[in-house]
Amino acid sequence: MIYPYFITYMAAGLILAGGVFAWALKNGQFKDQQRARYLPLEESAKAGPPSDLSRIRKTELGVLAGLAVAGLGASGAAIVFSLLQNRP
Amino acid sequence: MPTPPFEGKGKRPADEIPEPGRYATARGFCLTSAFWMIVAASAGLLGATELIAPDLPGSLAWLSFGRIRPVHINLVLFGFVTPGLLGAAFYYVPRLLRTELFSERLGRLTVLAWNGALVAIVVSLCMGYTQGREYAEPVWPIDVLVVGAFGLIFFNLALTVKNREEPLLYVSIWYVLAAVILTAVTYALGNVIWRPDSGALSGIPDAILLWFYGHNVFGLLLTPLSAGVAYYVIPRACRAPLYSHTLSLLGFWSLLVIYTHIGTHHLLQVPVPTWLKVIAVTDSVAMVIPVMAFLINIWYTARGRLGEIHADIGAKFVFTGTVMYFFVSIQGSMMSLPQVQRVTHFNNWVVGHAHVGVLGFAGMIAIGGLYAVLPKISGRPLFSRFLADLQYWLILIGVTGFTVVLTVAGLIQGNAWLNGETVYRVLGEIHMYYIVRAGLGLMVFSAALIGMYNMARTLFPRKGGAP
Repeated sequence: MIYPYFITYMAAGLILAGGVFAWALKNGQFKDQQRARYLPLEESAKAGPPSDLSRIRKTELGVLAGLAVAGLGASGAAIVFSLLQNRP
Repeated sequence: MPTPPFEGKGKRPADEIPEPGRYATARGFCLTSAFWMIVAASAGLLGATELIAPDLPGSLAWLSFGRIRPVHINLVLFGFVTPGLLGAAFYYVPRLLRTELFSERLGRLTVLAWNGALVAIVVSLCMGYTQGREYAEPVWPIDVLVVGAFGLIFFNLALTVKNREEPLLYVSIWYVLAAVILTAVTYALGNVIWRPDSGALSGIPDAILLWFYGHNVFGLLLTPLSAGVAYYVIPRACRAPLYSHTLSLLGFWSLLVIYTHIGTHHLLQVPVPTWLKVIAVTDSVAMVIPVMAFLINIWYTARGRLGEIHADIGAKFVFTGTVMYFFVSIQGSMMSLPQVQRVTHFNNWVVGHAHVGVLGFAGMIAIGGLYAVLPKISGRPLFSRFLADLQYWLILIGVTGFTVVLTVAGLIQGNAWLNGETVYRVLGEIHMYYIVRAGLGLMVFSAALIGMYNMARTLFPRKGGAP
């Protein structure tokens, strides 16, 4: 009784994805990938030149980087701690 | 300094002022997101406060934790984040396809139905009507309404794709279409919609099906919608082409193949078939493929252009969301390992993980998407960049704080239980973390109020203001 539900669920996803992938392949969706890279930019042509980083923004970036390193460090430490605590 | 593309004061070119009625659907979903973020955050804040003071609701059953928690979760998922991402999508899909939305009228109807479902969710859950399955609490009539709304959205977007003038489908289009149709199917299956009386199977099959749903309703809804927004907003803000469209498609298709199978990693302690657990854990680790394909692509597009990212408040939110995505994905893959789960499962670690994912990643990108499209759909500059920045920092500090305190609390709980400690003795140890969590929740609630005000003033300026 268990198998039919999730096998159907997983198979439906794969079959659906396979069908759409075949459609995409047949319709040339994987060609001209260079042009595809520029599609979001069509409206941006009017924008001015890029702006430089101000000192405040550099500080902001530093704070963000600090948060990122702290978060990653905490996660890593927690995982190492978990693995060490659970040694068989 | 030159005026960034989406901000600044003064008149915008006439061709950028949308005619009345255009983008009504995008506008509706944007407002939906901003409004329900307030309600969702207030429910979360109330729930967090009740964890500190369990007697707070007194005899008001409709405010009890068991009812407020599902209200919070369902509103964050369907009230705040999903509509925010859809608001951006209803703007960028027609633009990328160089056509108009198939039907703004149908879109408006969808927004109405969506909000009707949200009201029904709040009322029914507060009254105690629930299916009692995590993330699938709403009762059958609401399930039908939600699936119907997703069906209408897919219909509208699919016919927009059909009417397109641009033959190539940009990766954001792939992501949004996949998210909508997969969620319609996942929601119907996961809520066992063919059994209106219970909304559930029985025994282990129900647990398996529920967790396919429970994971996919986030992974196959919020992740692809967020990726779609990021792939649109970041190249525009950087004024640079996407690093690799081929890599983005690799990420999309691998997400589709891998993500659909990993729900059982929530059930590693349950007697489900071993082969299913192996698939779930293996694919959870394999998620590094779509995740890194996405992140490498976005970060290489933004490489050397962080000045532009910071100049554009929408992109700033979105880019931060991608950093959070990195954290939550690494966490997710690691948490699927049985050895790690022995400590991290069934405690506040998971709650911290969920907040990084839904608020830090998808929520941040949803708000970024709103700020990116607001000036376009309103034809006016954003009312206040300062308020948007304030909102950004409140949410960033809030979600980072959530992560730290909930992770610490989770480790205390997990380690104590693993060593045979009783539950009530641990509660005292984590009390302080709950207090800090509630304080951080207040920051997020404030951020939601600020965001709503900023959006309302942008969309509905006072008479005599800028056009």
